[in-house]
Amino acid sequence: MTIRMLGLGTTLLLTGAAVSSRISRTTTAGEPMAAPAWRNTSWLNTDRPLTLESLRGRVVLLNFWVFTCYNCTNTVPSLNVFDHEYRPRGLTVIGIHTPEFPPYGGEHDRANVARALAKEGISYPNAQDNDRATWNLYGIQYWPSFILIDKAGRIRYEGYGEFHVGDPTHREWARRIESLLAE
Amino acid sequence: MLAGCRGAVAPPTDLVRLVAAATGSLVRMTLVPAAGARINARLKPVLELADGTRVQFDSQSLTADSAYYAGQPEASMASRGRIEGTLRVGVCPAGLDACLALALPIDIPAP
Repeated sequence: MTIRMLGLGTTLLLTGAAVSSRISRTTTAGEPMAAPAWRNTSWLNTDRPLTLESLRGRVVLLNFWVFTCYNCTNTVPSLNVFDHEYRPRGLTVIGIHTPEFPPYGGEHDRANVARALAKEGISYPNAQDNDRATWNLYGIQYWPSFILIDKAGRIRYEGYGEFHVGDPTHREWARRIESLLAE
Repeated sequence: MLAGCRGAVAPPTDLVRLVAAATGSLVRMTLVPAAGARINARLKPVLELADGTRVQFDSQSLTADSAYYAGQPEASMASRGRIEGTLRVGVCPAGLDACLALALPIDIPAP
């Protein structure tokens, strides 16, 4: 299944208003959409690939990022806080590491990703999305972007843009996470 | 377009445009971001020419956090005919703390 969130050309997108966070898309019936299953095979910070099916019953926060993106690395402290505070309560944070450039840019290199995880203090699982399959599956356009999936595997919230520990956007994501954990 | 030189401008986008100018036996190319837009300096912009050559842009002028170019990144190459290829550049639109990766087709006449 491919979600076509923004079916516009890049040039057209650039003229749009800056919206950093919003409630997710819904089906035509008004219900949240089922999250599509990612199939990434190269993972870090986990001993086996994580699947959407295996995470049923947990809340999942997907973070689409790349280590060359300053806005992305600036947001990592917030994600580390979410991981630390909410993992024991049922949240799984997953980084979907999606390169911007072709392989010559170095973003596809697993060792480079591993170094970035260590540098940023990231201990939550990360998938390499070198072919952008998961990026495209979720219709992502921006680095960084976020998808919040509920315990039933449905997309409940999505957004993009940098945020910081304690700022209003961080608090809003925390509120969303807590609401889904409470369901 | 650079003053005092013959120049050519790639089809404009909302975020960045490529300006090329002849300077002797070289072509100097400059990336000009839209007002308020920031070009990612952690991933230096590249022009992938149709013949497979890659031309990297850079500038010594960076923002204080070294994340973005404060000046306009430039690149030079030997003069040639039309400039054809793909420009890859990471750009963060004005007022947005998120970025896009652009892959812009370039086809401009020899400057």
